[in-house]
Amino acid sequence: MFKEMSLKSVAAAALALLPVTAVAESPTVQQIKERGTLLCSGHNGSYFGFVEVNDKNEWKGLDIDLCRALTTAILGDPNANQIVPLSWAQRFPALQSGDVDLIIKATGWTMGRDTELGLQFSLPYFFGGTQFMAHGDLGITEAKDLDGGTICVEAGTTIERIAANYLSTLGVEHTMVSYESAAELRAAYVANRCDAFAGWGPNLAVLRATEIDNPDAHVILNDQLSSEPISAAMRQGDEEFVDVVNWMLAAMLIAEEEGVTMANVEDMAANPPNPKVARLLGSEPGMGERLGLRDTWAREMIAAVGNFGEVYDRNLGANSPYKLDRGLNNLWSHGGVLYAPILD
Amino acid sequence: MSDLSVTAPTKFQSITQVLKKRAFPTPTQSALSILVFGVLAWLAWSLFDWAILRAIWSAENVGQCGKGTGAGACWAVIDARHRLILFGLYPFDQHWRSTLAAVAIIATVVISCIPLMWSAKRIVTLWIVGFATYYLLMEGSLLGLQQVTTDGWGGLSLTLFLFSSVVLLGMPMGLGLALMRRSEMPFVRGFAVVLIDFVRSLPLLVTLFTAAVVIPIILPSWLEGDKIWRVIVAFALFFACYQAEVFRGGFQAIPKGQFEAGQALGLTYWQTLGRIVLPQVFRHALPSTINMVVITFKETALVIIIGFFDVMASAKAAFGTGEWAPYYLEVYVFVALIYWLFIFSLGQYGEYLKGRMAISER
Amino acid sequence: MSKADELRQRAKRRKIAIQAGLIALSALVILGAFTTARTNLEAQGLTSGFGFLERSTGWDYSFSLVPKTIMDPYSQTLFVGFLNTLFVGFIAIFLTTLFGFIIGTARDASNIAIKTAATVYVQIFRNIPLILQLVFLYAVLINLPGPRQAMSMADTIFLSNRGLMLPGLSVTPGVAVALLLASIALGVVLISRKIPLIHGVLGWVGGSILMCIVAAIAMRPEGATLVTIPELKGLRFRGGITIPIELVGMIVAITLYGSAYIAEVVRGGLAQVPKGLTEAGQALGLSKGAIWSRIKMPMALRSIIPPLGNQWIFMMKATTIGVAIGFSDLFYIVSISITQSGQTLELIAILAGAFLLVNGGLAVFTNWLNARMKLKAH
Repeated sequence: MFKEMSLKSVAAAALALLPVTAVAESPTVQQIKERGTLLCSGHNGSYFGFVEVNDKNEWKGLDIDLCRALTTAILGDPNANQIVPLSWAQRFPALQSGDVDLIIKATGWTMGRDTELGLQFSLPYFFGGTQFMAHGDLGITEAKDLDGGTICVEAGTTIERIAANYLSTLGVEHTMVSYESAAELRAAYVANRCDAFAGWGPNLAVLRATEIDNPDAHVILNDQLSSEPISAAMRQGDEEFVDVVNWMLAAMLIAEEEGVTMANVEDMAANPPNPKVARLLGSEPGMGERLGLRDTWAREMIAAVGNFGEVYDRNLGANSPYKLDRGLNNLWSHGGVLYAPILD
Repeated sequence: MSDLSVTAPTKFQSITQVLKKRAFPTPTQSALSILVFGVLAWLAWSLFDWAILRAIWSAENVGQCGKGTGAGACWAVIDARHRLILFGLYPFDQHWRSTLAAVAIIATVVISCIPLMWSAKRIVTLWIVGFATYYLLMEGSLLGLQQVTTDGWGGLSLTLFLFSSVVLLGMPMGLGLALMRRSEMPFVRGFAVVLIDFVRSLPLLVTLFTAAVVIPIILPSWLEGDKIWRVIVAFALFFACYQAEVFRGGFQAIPKGQFEAGQALGLTYWQTLGRIVLPQVFRHALPSTINMVVITFKETALVIIIGFFDVMASAKAAFGTGEWAPYYLEVYVFVALIYWLFIFSLGQYGEYLKGRMAISER
Repeated sequence: MSKADELRQRAKRRKIAIQAGLIALSALVILGAFTTARTNLEAQGLTSGFGFLERSTGWDYSFSLVPKTIMDPYSQTLFVGFLNTLFVGFIAIFLTTLFGFIIGTARDASNIAIKTAATVYVQIFRNIPLILQLVFLYAVLINLPGPRQAMSMADTIFLSNRGLMLPGLSVTPGVAVALLLASIALGVVLISRKIPLIHGVLGWVGGSILMCIVAAIAMRPEGATLVTIPELKGLRFRGGITIPIELVGMIVAITLYGSAYIAEVVRGGLAQVPKGLTEAGQALGLSKGAIWSRIKMPMALRSIIPPLGNQWIFMMKATTIGVAIGFSDLFYIVSISITQSGQTLELIAILAGAFLLVNGGLAVFTNWLNARMKLKAH
């Protein structure tokens, strides 16, 4: 399928008599343009802060905003996407079958997924680790106290494997119950079906902050089981699409670094303070052609969703109900581990 | 309680006589009857008390709900979230379209129950018109309304859509398979037998899951179609394989001589089939067909597992927020009641038809 | 050649052409699917084949009849899922059949109170989708009190949101499985002998209990008590048998739904028994129980068994909804394996194969049962 398509796109490029240096357009991007919509991964229910459904039945969250950013970069319209609801377990089959163009769904970069599942990953855009949250009345602080307990987890995730591995290393006797939907899992934990909830740190913090009546009734255990790089996942065999996604993420980070925000992007584009910003915002040509996009894609994207810091604050940080600290997920210059490749 | 009326005594007996004979004939029987009636009455009263007398009805009064308040059912959750349950993720300001579309499907089903409609032409026209009305309203672009693609459809409307498209597609497929199964050609017959037995041995969920996940791998991309259509086609295949067996039962009820008589009159195979045999087959198969339709409606609830936002998924979403989480019981009762009303009335209609036909054959 | 012969020849040729066309079309579709799958998988860099079955899974799941670790290979994990499906399926079949016959008989009762109760039951549970009943029930079950506040009956049986804790015999899981199989075998033997219905059922129950007692005395581990009783220690109950709440939910939901269906099958069968036969029994002065077990039921069974077999197959297939509440049946295990290993086609083939096997077996058993019942009635 892909071979055929990339041949077609090469032929199209040759017909258009583009300069030899021009990048062959990604078949996925071409498909998205033909379709006029980008198919993004959603969730079966809400995964708070990342993918959630608000009162007006609209999708929002960090992952959704990244999807909107990518949609703007490719199609120039933040709303030209379809969010396909998927369970954790269905996300890879859905990607393989073409039901979605890519997965932006708190997905960790693992070797198995990279090789056996035939995926390829973008730059990590988020770092979070697996942790346990337990009911406070159990009076425990460490995972080894969970002996004999029941642990709930999301089925088909890396967390499922990491938690199982960790507990078996510790020799903790336990029962694991895994659910296909986050809502079912949340309900089970809240109803005390399980003593502890193995989850992704940020998600646990969000849950504790909002979903549960009394935050003090729950403790996040000290054990840090892993720290996972979270990336967008794509089908193998379309390197150009990976480039587009990587530079979409990079542009959001660079924008934050350079202080380009949703509010000032037009001014910055009109009077770029330095050549880097000028290039980023398409005030001088080159940025678009290299990726097979418009020169102004990054400007439109920032205008539509903001830079990475704004997206974080809106969905998880200070401007959200969850008020999560940025911690590791800050720019390197602010004590975090996020940094962009060099824009030259 | 129609079956009570079937065995109900003749009009010459009064109620007290009936009760005496059928509830209180001996002391032990009487004790048993009183006990069972007592339990039933207690259950009914508890339910009535919880659901009606002590219930909180309005979303404004949600503060009065909850444990320790002495309140019963908190229907406030339905008041606040019924739109999510009924329409899913459908655009909020377009809900009137979803309502009309659902009414169109329900009307189609109800009108189909009128014997006047029971000719091939009328019923096919009715279903196509009903389905087209639904589709045009929901999708919108052809009527000049805001376009809403299938992934935006949800709730009860989506359930009705799945149901009606499965029946509409599955019915001719089922007839085709039944005819193939009766064929004199061994390979044609063998093909139908293998397909029918294969699909009937697999859980519906496996068939649907295969359609959602495997078909895209084994079909070229231009043939794939949307996930919802893949699932509908697979569901229709499931329906067809069961319906083929129902039709087979109908064919078996028809004396072979009729086919021969048709041929003796110089009619072709298709003429004999269409004018003589099939009308009788449909008549014989009607009660079982209604049973199959009822089962199909029930089984549409399974699509929640392969990620569709049907009425059950939207019900889960309705109590999926912190505020409404304690009232899962009310939401489930509401959805169960919706299903129950549909299924019970269709089922009762099937029973009525069966009884009517049994009488006419006597 | 006469005209009729010519026509017959032509018809024959047409039939051959149609069949050849159908075969060619099927072959083409299968071949096309095969090659497309290969290109699609290659384009995504996926490996195909069953080699993954030997790799260890690295993930855990809720319920297993045999000891499990996260080092188990996929093959064993899938087998556990298969066992779980069979386990739930057979328990559900047994219970639905039992309750179905009771309720079906009650639907046919002359006492109006009993009849009304049975009718209400059937009309409620038959007319709501099974999966809705399951998630509904599960939501109720997980909101039961926790293990420390478990509801108890005489301090030997406990029910909490973790599961149902029962006193159990001190036998190893292997012996328990052997007992189960022996009990099933006893049932089959009793059916194949021409033993009256009531005697057969009593013999089966008595025999099974006897086997359990003998096994518990003879096979118990050194120094263990005959029966262990659940006790709350730390975060959960130890000793006795714990039936996880997911399993409780599955069994109860399928039983409630399935027995309403089987009750209708039984009622239908009973309704077909000619009234004259019952009246003849009454005239002979037989008791109501004797009329039911000697006259009505044996007659009714002939028309009950074929649809009953279909219900059994339905029950087996219905176990797949375990995925909705996190019960590790075969479908659930396959679904997780697909995500964790990416071997979609192979795993779906295994899933389909397993169900064809089990349901084929059930169909064969039903046919055998049907044949036996027919002989008996002669």
